[in-house]
Parts: sequence; structure tokens; C-alpha cells
Amino acid sequence: MPMVEVAGKEFEVDEEGYLVNLADWDENIAGYLAQEEKVELTENHWEVVNFLREYYGEYQIAPAIRVLTKAIAKKLGADKGNNKYLYELFPYGPAKQACKIAGLPKPTGCI
Amino acid sequence: MSALTVFYIGLYYVAAIILIGGLAYRVYEYASTPAPLNIPTTPAPITKLGVRFRMFREIAFFESLFKSNKWIWVFGYLFHVGLALVLLRHIRYFQEPVWFWVELIQPFGMYASLAMIAGLAGLWARRFLVDRVRYISTPSDHLILVLLIAIGLSGMTMTFVAHTDIIALKTFALGLVTFDWHPLPSDGPLLVHLFLVALLMIIFPISKLLHVPGVFFSPTRNQVDNPRERRHLAPWAAALDKDNG
Amino acid sequence: MAAAQFEVPKLSDTAYTTVPKIQEGSMAHVKTFPAVKASQEFLGYPFELADDWKERVIERMGQSLKKYRSLRVFMDACVHCGACTDKCHYFLGTADPKNMPVARQDLMRKIYRRYFTLPGKIAPWLVGAEDLTKDTLNDWFTYYHQCSECRRCSVYCPYGIDTAEITMAGREILNYAGMGQKYSSEILNKVQKIGNNLGLPGPALEDTLLGLEEDIEADTGVAVKMPLNVKGAEILLITPSADFFSEPHVESLIGYAKVFHAAGASWTLSSHASEAGNFGLFNGNYETMRTVAMRIRDAALELGVKRIIVGECGHAWRVAYAFWNTLTGIGYGGNDPFSIELQSKLDSRYKQPMHICEYTWDLIQQGVLKFDKSLNDHRTVTFHDSCNVARGSRMGDEPGGQFTIPRNIIRAVVNNYQDMAAETIGEGTFCCGGGGGVLTDDLIEARVKGALPRMNAYNAVAQENGVNFLALICAICKAQFTKVVPYYGFDMSQVGGVHQLVSTAIKLEQD
Repeated sequence: MPMVEVAGKEFEVDEEGYLVNLADWDENIAGYLAQEEKVELTENHWEVVNFLREYYGEYQIAPAIRVLTKAIAKKLGADKGNNKYLYELFPYGPAKQACKIAGLPKPTGCI
Repeated sequence: MSALTVFYIGLYYVAAIILIGGLAYRVYEYASTPAPLNIPTTPAPITKLGVRFRMFREIAFFESLFKSNKWIWVFGYLFHVGLALVLLRHIRYFQEPVWFWVELIQPFGMYASLAMIAGLAGLWARRFLVDRVRYISTPSDHLILVLLIAIGLSGMTMTFVAHTDIIALKTFALGLVTFDWHPLPSDGPLLVHLFLVALLMIIFPISKLLHVPGVFFSPTRNQVDNPRERRHLAPWAAALDKDNG
Repeated sequence: MAAAQFEVPKLSDTAYTTVPKIQEGSMAHVKTFPAVKASQEFLGYPFELADDWKERVIERMGQSLKKYRSLRVFMDACVHCGACTDKCHYFLGTADPKNMPVARQDLMRKIYRRYFTLPGKIAPWLVGAEDLTKDTLNDWFTYYHQCSECRRCSVYCPYGIDTAEITMAGREILNYAGMGQKYSSEILNKVQKIGNNLGLPGPALEDTLLGLEEDIEADTGVAVKMPLNVKGAEILLITPSADFFSEPHVESLIGYAKVFHAAGASWTLSSHASEAGNFGLFNGNYETMRTVAMRIRDAALELGVKRIIVGECGHAWRVAYAFWNTLTGIGYGGNDPFSIELQSKLDSRYKQPMHICEYTWDLIQQGVLKFDKSLNDHRTVTFHDSCNVARGSRMGDEPGGQFTIPRNIIRAVVNNYQDMAAETIGEGTFCCGGGGGVLTDDLIEARVKGALPRMNAYNAVAQENGVNFLALICAICKAQFTKVVPYYGFDMSQVGGVHQLVSTAIKLEQD
């Protein structure tokens, strides 16, 4: 698996660029991963990323899309608590792209 | 008896043994290999009778092929129906007196040989003209068509061009089945025809001609769609239940 | 990652897809990721080729030929007639000749002929037989992962040769030799270790369901429940884990819950068996498929349910309908202790297992469910027959019930319905392009191109009849189309479940 160095810290990513060790993650790495995804991180992106990490810390899985939209609605307002807004933030899909930036493993299944 | 006659007698016994023994072995192999899961291509019949009807339509009308590709169906059907009639027509060489219906189909059998050749020519042309079929064709695919066409043409030569000594031929053929051997007329077309037919019999159990028994054993066609009502269980799969039952 | 690195096929002017001229090697570069060591070891496979890889391939092939009549007969019966050559959606979308069903089969057949038949041993050049090399295995790995095991070819083969059976055997041999697919391998690990393909642990599932209950109540004012692990419930619902996790899947889950609520049914989900999908089917390993299916038997016995109903999932319904009885005894007609233990506890008035569409349609016929169809008036709907449901299973009592029952439900809940072109639905339906273990980002090119025949048919009804909703009963179809329709210029919100439509129109009485 490839190794990447960001701000003097070396870490491992898989074939698709997902962080291999959750614990390696920091904000610099998130910035690097976002850049790879061509996503410019705004405050609203960070809200999503931080929520994903919190949720993962509690449940060992990324939140279901409904759980995520509800949480975002609470934080950013009801008009942003929907799938469409999340796709605006993360065009390749909130589940996969946001998880990647948050350093979480890629959710796979029939999704 | 000439060496030629002896050779052909020997050839036909060997060919018959290989054909019958080989096919019997294949059928045994197919029948004794378990089908562990219920995998009919649905919608499928939900009764055994329904499955027989499905199989009949498949054998008699090439139903799936008809759905698939009209050109292959036309050529394939012409060839197979032609061949069937021609084969039935040949029954007269092996019996005395000849059954009424075998007499009846004699003239049709003659035209059937034309249909057979036309079908084979069409199928062969596809192997050159259609890029997809050209890609999948192996030398043996071509050679089997060549063999069948050569059998048809050599036979037709005797019907339409240069008749062979039918009486002597029939005596020879009857002799083969009654083990009372007689000389074989030594006409060129006949010798070629008989040799190629024997060759076809010999390669039958080791070639793609196995589609003939194969179709009857195809699980996607011969299984009843009843898995919720009946528990299908192969012997090797049943053993797993015992381990964790 | 977001931008396509390949050319998206152009939609045609009609519902039909033109058969392309072959382009050799056009998809040779599309390879799925190899499985990682830990997950292969859990499944009992090596994760890379060892020195004896050749012997292992031949050994496993010989065993499979003895265990599966399908493989045994299909290896011999093909006459290379070419009837299947234009039937595979991956061939139609990619023009790679190795994606023609017969050529995909021949990848294995040439090895079969070389090592297991007389002509192939003495004259390989004559019959297209070839020596087994690493190139062979690379070809297998590439092209057995560009097959969605959809069985469309088997409809059109005069001998019923089903390429899915050969793909499954091929993947099993590859796994056994040390070449697994990352996607399927990971999922088969998660379903066995955690209980579902996603890896959604019990507490997360519980939290998600509670959230959904809140949503429904906020939406409708009715306290529709999503019970989990309720002992003594009458019905156990087995549904794909994507229904808990993703859009639009979750809308159908809400639909099932509303139907159960309206029927006053006692039902439950199980965290132990929180997955209908069974990727053991895709891998072609009977034992794995059986182990995965066994969770449902265990959950049914543990919870003491009387009925088992399966949610919207295509291959899961094939496994449930056609294989569960064999694998786990869920069904009828067993006369051995293993199956009797379970079958004696099931309510014999009902089909076991039952599809959620059979359940809903029964209730509609009994007049139990009430709908306001006008609530779906913003939609003009068409229905995509999922391959595994269409060609590997049934619903109801008559052959073809799998086509009529979902359509009957749709017509009962929407005013505007239009079928796609006849040759592209029913038994001739085109796969979504993501089935059979192909639904992974590393195969996105095959997925997009493989969707072309379906997209052409959909585009035709969208243009001519104003269709704007593609109704599905398969989690893979939902995920695949959500990802792929934008490549063809459609919005992903046009994709959804049959029970999403039910959910929109159903009238719930206030408690």
C-alpha cells in the first residue's frame, strides 16, 4: 500500500486513497485527502467531517445518511439537512467522499 | 470379401461401439453429477409435466434460439430438421420389409438434404461474416461444418448424380446389423460418404456434438420451479446439515 | 475520482442498443482490486498465488466439475452458435469480445478442454484448448469480474447455458488459487463478523431505527415502529442493510414499516441477521453461501417467528426463494431433522419465505391497505425488472408472478405508469450493470458502460412518455442507478424503490 507524507508525518493509504489507520488522521491529512478529492474544505465541510468522526467513535461505523442529514440540519439549519446539500458539499457522495476526508474506512455494501 | 469391405465392416463396428459406449458414458457422467441448487431459468414450469413441455418445445422448435436470433434459428432449424428427415430416410437400409412411413418420407428426405446443406452453408457463412461469431470460432467449429457438408454432398451425389448399387448397399447394411456380412459396392462417393459418417460417429462423444445429450441435462431447462415447496438436496450438500444440524 | 476517466457511451435514439463491432481488449484495463490478506484468510483462502497455483486451479476445477452438473454440462454443450454474443449488457456497452457470454465461458472452457478432454489433450490447437498460465488467470480475474451473473444469456442459449454458473465457478477457483476480489471478500467478512454487509453494529442499527421512527412520526403524525430483536414477533423481516443506511433505500424500509403498521402486523428485524444479501452467491462457494444464509435460520429460531419476509433485494430474493430451503430449511417439504426443526415452527398458511411484494399485494387484494394515489402524481413511473428476481426466482403462484406482482402494486399506488420496451423487461430484462459483485468503485467504468442498454430503454420512455421515476426492488440496482444515471444526464432522485411509492401513497390511520 502507498505511503504519503504530509507536514512531516508519514501515513499509509489504500488503493483508493483511504487512510489505512484511523489513528493517523489529523487536520493536515484531512486537507490533503480533500485536495486529492478536489474538495475545498469550508466550515460546513468541517461540520460534516467532525460529525462523522464523532459518530464513528461511538458506533464504529459511519452514520446512515438519514442520521447524518438530521445532525447537519441541527447544526447548519433545516435547509441544509438534506441529501442534496450533502452532495453539493461532497459531489461523489457524502458516504464515500466525506468518510474518506474524515479518515474513516470506506463504507461498502450495496450502497 | 475384399479388404475394403473388411475395413468398412471393422470401421462401422468400432464407430458404433465408440458412439454408443461414449454417449452412454457421457449420459452416466451427466446424470451422476449432482445439481445441488434449484437453478431453472425463470419463469419456469412449476410441474414436471410443464418441464417436459418446455423441453419438448426446446427440442422440437428450438424455442430459446428462436427468441435469440432469427438467422441462426432459420439456418439451425433447416439443418437439424433436414438432417432428421435424411436420417429417417436412411432407416430403409436397415430393414426388410421397410415400414410404411419410412417409404412415405423417401421423397421428402431427398429435399431435406437440400435444406440441410442450405442450413449448414448459412451457419458456416456466419462464421466468416459476423465479426462476433468469427471471434469465437475455433478450427474444429469450421471442420465439423465441413464434415457435415461433405457428408451431405457425397450423399446427394448418389441421390441426384451417380446412383450407387442400392441393392448391394442394402445387403451390406443389413449384413452389418445381422452379423451376416456382404461385400460393399466400391463407388467413390459411397466410400467417402460412409467413411465420413463413421468419423462423425467416432467424434460425437468427444466433441461439441455433446449438445445433443447435454440439452436434456441442462439444469436451467430441466428443473421444476418449486424450491419453496420441495427441499432440493445433493448428497454432498446433505452431509453439511449433519455437521451442524 | 469524481470525474470519469473514460468515455461515457452515447444514448441511442431508440429504446434499443445497437450491437457494436468488437474491439478486442477494450476492457482489459478494468480490473477490480485484489482482496487483502486478512479477509481472504478469514474465508479460508490464500491471498496470493503460491508455487502450486497451477495444481490448485486444476484440482479445484476438477472438484467443481464433479459437484455441479451445471458446470459439467455447460462446459461440453456449447456449439459456438453465437446466439448469446449480443445479449450481455457489458458487451453491448463495451464492445470487448471477452464480454460476450460465450467468450467469457471459453476463458474457462479452453482450460477445461486442455486438461479434461481427449481432443484438447492431443490436439489443443484444433479445439481452442490452451495451457493454463498466469495470463489465463489474469483474464479470468478481469472478465469474471465484468459479469454480473444476471443470467440474461441463459434465456437465449438453445441449451440454457448460464454464464453465471461459470463465472461463479471461475471466482471460486480464483479464490482457491489466491486471487480474491477485495469488495466481495470484505463484505463476506463483515456479514459473518458483524451481521450485515455494511458492517453496521447492533447499537448503530438501533440508533438508526429510532431516528427513522422519529422521522416517520414527524412526517405523518403516526407512531410507526421499527422493532428490533423482538422475541415472539410473528414476522421476521430480512432486508438488505443498505435499507438502513442509504438513500433511496431507506424510503422503501419506511414503506415496509408503514405496510406492517397498516396491517397491524407483529414484526421484527434482527441485528444478528440484519442483512438479506448473500455475496456467497456471487463468489460461487456453496459453503460460504450456506454459512451466510444460516444467520437467518438462527435468528428465526432464536426469535421464534412464524413467518419470514424478505425486503427489496434482487440476489437476496433469488437466494431466499430458490436456495434457502436447500441451504437452511426455510421453506417446506423437508423430511430430515434439520429442516423439520424449523419448518414445524413456521405458519404453513403462508409461503416461506415470502417477498415483501407478495405480502403487500396480498394485503392490497384483501383491501387492507388504503392509498391516495394522487400523492404520487408528480411521478410517472416505470419498473425495472431486477435480473435475479426476473430470471432466478418467482413471486406468487404462477410463473411470471415476479413480473406482474410488483407492477400490480405500482399501479395500485400511482396513476402514471409506463413499461419500458418489451424486449428490455421481463425475462429479457437488462441488468443494472452493478450486480453480482460488480458494484464497486474500482469497476465504475464497467458499471457505467454496462448500464447502457437499460439507460437507452429508460431514456426512450423518459422522452416519449415523460417517465421520471425508475422503480426498483433491489438494493444493488438502487445503488448502481443512483451512481450511474447522472452519467447519462438524469437526476439521481429519479431512482427509488417500489415501497417508496407505497410509502408516499399509503393512508395511515391516526392512533
